[in-house]
Amino acid sequence: MITRTIQTVCLVLLTVLLTGCPKPILKVEPAEAEETTPSEAAAEENPRVTAALQLTDQGRRLLEDRKPDKAIRALEQAVSLDPSNGQNYYYLSEAWLMKGSAAQAKEFNHLAEIHLREDSAWMIRVAQQADRIAELEK
Amino acid sequence: MLKKILKYALLIFVLASLGLSIYGWYLANQVEKRFSARRWHIPSTVYSDTTLLYPGQRFNPDIFTKKLINLGYRRINHRPSMKGELQITPVELNIFLNDLKTPWRTRAGFPVRVISGHNKIETIIRIDNGDKIPILELEPEEIMQFFGPERERRHLISIEQVPEHLVRAVLAAEDHRFFEHSGVDFRGILRALITNLRHGAIRQGGSTLTQQLAKNYFLTPARTLTRKFKEVLLALIIELKYDKNEILEIYLNEIYLGQKGSVAINGFGEASYFYFGKPVKELTLSEAAIMAGLIKAPNHYSPYRDKARCRSRRDEVLQSMHRNEWLAETELQIELKKPIKAVGFNVSDTKAPYFIDYLTEQLNAFYRPEDLSSLGLSVYTTLDTQVQMAAEIALAEGLERLESSNPDLQRQAPEQKLQGALVVMQPKTGHILAMVGGRNYSISQFNRITQARRQPGSAFKPFVYLSSLAKFTPTTLLSNDPKSYTVDGKLWEPRNFEPVTEYTVTMKNALKKSYNLATVDLAMKIGLDQIVDMAGRFHFSTPLKPYPSLALGAFEVIPLELARAYCVFAAEGVQPFPLSLKGVLDEHDNILEQKHLNIERLIPPAEAFIMTAMLQSVVNEGTARSLKWRGVSWPVAGKTGTTNDFRDAWFVGYTPDILALVWVGFDNAETIAATGAAAALPIWADLMNAIPQYRSETEFKAPRGVERISVCSVTGLIAVDDCPEPIEEYFLAGQTPAEHCPLHVKGGIAGKIIENAKDLIDDNDR
Repeated sequence: MITRTIQTVCLVLLTVLLTGCPKPILKVEPAEAEETTPSEAAAEENPRVTAALQLTDQGRRLLEDRKPDKAIRALEQAVSLDPSNGQNYYYLSEAWLMKGSAAQAKEFNHLAEIHLREDSAWMIRVAQQADRIAELEK
Repeated sequence: MLKKILKYALLIFVLASLGLSIYGWYLANQVEKRFSARRWHIPSTVYSDTTLLYPGQRFNPDIFTKKLINLGYRRINHRPSMKGELQITPVELNIFLNDLKTPWRTRAGFPVRVISGHNKIETIIRIDNGDKIPILELEPEEIMQFFGPERERRHLISIEQVPEHLVRAVLAAEDHRFFEHSGVDFRGILRALITNLRHGAIRQGGSTLTQQLAKNYFLTPARTLTRKFKEVLLALIIELKYDKNEILEIYLNEIYLGQKGSVAINGFGEASYFYFGKPVKELTLSEAAIMAGLIKAPNHYSPYRDKARCRSRRDEVLQSMHRNEWLAETELQIELKKPIKAVGFNVSDTKAPYFIDYLTEQLNAFYRPEDLSSLGLSVYTTLDTQVQMAAEIALAEGLERLESSNPDLQRQAPEQKLQGALVVMQPKTGHILAMVGGRNYSISQFNRITQARRQPGSAFKPFVYLSSLAKFTPTTLLSNDPKSYTVDGKLWEPRNFEPVTEYTVTMKNALKKSYNLATVDLAMKIGLDQIVDMAGRFHFSTPLKPYPSLALGAFEVIPLELARAYCVFAAEGVQPFPLSLKGVLDEHDNILEQKHLNIERLIPPAEAFIMTAMLQSVVNEGTARSLKWRGVSWPVAGKTGTTNDFRDAWFVGYTPDILALVWVGFDNAETIAATGAAAALPIWADLMNAIPQYRSETEFKAPRGVERISVCSVTGLIAVDDCPEPIEEYFLAGQTPAEHCPLHVKGGIAGKIIENAKDLIDDNDR
């Protein structure tokens, strides 16, 4: 990304020097910079996020207890309150894996990937989950 | 000869006895079957979703208080000490919570204090230990019971709940020798016969309670000797098989006691609420006598129909109680002086009736109607009764407002009145939070959200623009010039809603301003088959054909399917299955059915976001910009829709958290003379303002694969310093414009050519 920016800036400077044209306003802002996974800071600002985190935690614990249906309910509530928290989709995918449905697990894994891509630790888990789904599909 | 006659008589007697025995045995079986089924006949109950409360949550105090009352909480003036008690002060609610019991969670009730300010929950504290609660779940609300084909609500009562004075009033009114006879009161029949002969008309009936029950259960209302014979036989069988208290309990739960609109009121449990707004055990003697008096002719003696007639009948019952020595003279005199007061009722008090119809359709896939009426199932749904209340109010008020602002829309006949429909969904989960399928369920049960097929008009345009995203960008220029098209040999000349001077327009602006000409131009460029394919992927079940008018929403859609299709834009390209049912439990709380959030990936998240960004511009600067001065100041994306001759007005709007579709029109497709922005959008705004708990007010977040750059608003190319109105625009990665704006480059050749051309046009104009 940095290389690309340097390349772009050099190209712009070269263009200005050679043509004498006004400097274009070039703002290629990767949308990634705007996204954040729910953090404590976000939770403090947004009460819905705080409440949703409680439900996410409930869902996770229910999964630990191998109660996928109850976990799905808690996680659905968490998604209702905070649809941008990718952890909910990750755990929903886990729940469907537990229930043996690769198709639904795959859809939620995909959503988890969309929402958690900024978090490298989570992305490893998401990738591992995708492998487990592929295993189930075989 | 005599011997022969006797022989034949004996044979006839034996045969008749045999026949009667067989028939009696058959009836006994019928009674057994019917009564045992009926006695264990437990209606299925439908519940709303649970309600979450958390600190920092915005809420609508009026609707929330109603919700608590509907949940059965009783308002008191002191600190709650029992489950179900509620104390409301200006800054806090003290609630002794009821037990929460759902298939997924149970907890015992406990007292909480909900401290609020400025329509926002500040803190939730558990009163008994002072702990702060981060999130609280209120129990689901009972919406209705499936009881009989009319889905009536019925409060069943057991004989232990019935006060003695009610039993005596019923016996005094109908059958004072009930505990003495064996199903048929021959003394009573004789007395009735004498009375009727004396008056030369039928003044008195001799039917016992058991006979009435037999008549209600097994027989037609026809007055024939055969039917009377069967009635007597059945009554005797019932008395043989059941004890008096069992018969009385069934009678009190079954007897017809009046009419609430189109719904019959059966049983004292339900009637007690209908007439006096309380359970049977709280009925006063006078009220019990009124209700007992109703049995004879419920609608004739109804306190809602004629108070004087009702009073006279009540007095007869009280006098009869006195004659039977069940009421002392002094008590009688006190009761006779009491006025007749009924509590008043609302004919259409069925909650969310259109939602229930939709739910019933889903349930019928698993259960027969008779099973729903008898198996005692608990049906948990996605309905949020607060959203439902807000939706019903917003639609009713919106339609009234339209009628008062344009008297041409007023109709006398109730079934011809201006109609509207509204559905509210969570785009990420597909949960249907509220559904209002029409203006008045008691007049029309046609569900305009799930059954209507209406042209979506411009509300369909987003699917045209979406189909083009592989080739075009929001800044691609489209022709907005009038053109003619030949369709099936006929000339078709689309027009814009109003004449415009923009003959070339960017794709985003065309959608923002809902230009028809530019949209048809785009549709023809990308190919109509591609749009039909795209719509097919979105699960529109109505036929869509590759005609140019498809681009302008000329093919009918089902409103729920349109709402579901818009969910894809709000949910990163994923389409949820619309859910109304969450789960079904049997009477022993075993889970029979569970419906979970079910999703399908339809389009890439980046494309969904580009559509949302364009639809946000519709709200910020386009045809839906009036939302801003209707109090909607948070990020919303949406689209208005208006069909030819103003037959349909639409608005579909969403945030990352919630989506609502509003339709307004006449059932017979008469014009409503208003656009989607004027007719449907205000209803949407009213609804959203009334449910602040569903507003996170967060921005739509751009996913990977989207880039944002500053472009010239005129050329759509990369903005330069001198572009007068550079705008930030989102593009799919790899689709950002490669060139800089040539129009606003000082001294640039393109700029000069355009300036010269402008001068030339101006000269010609002069």
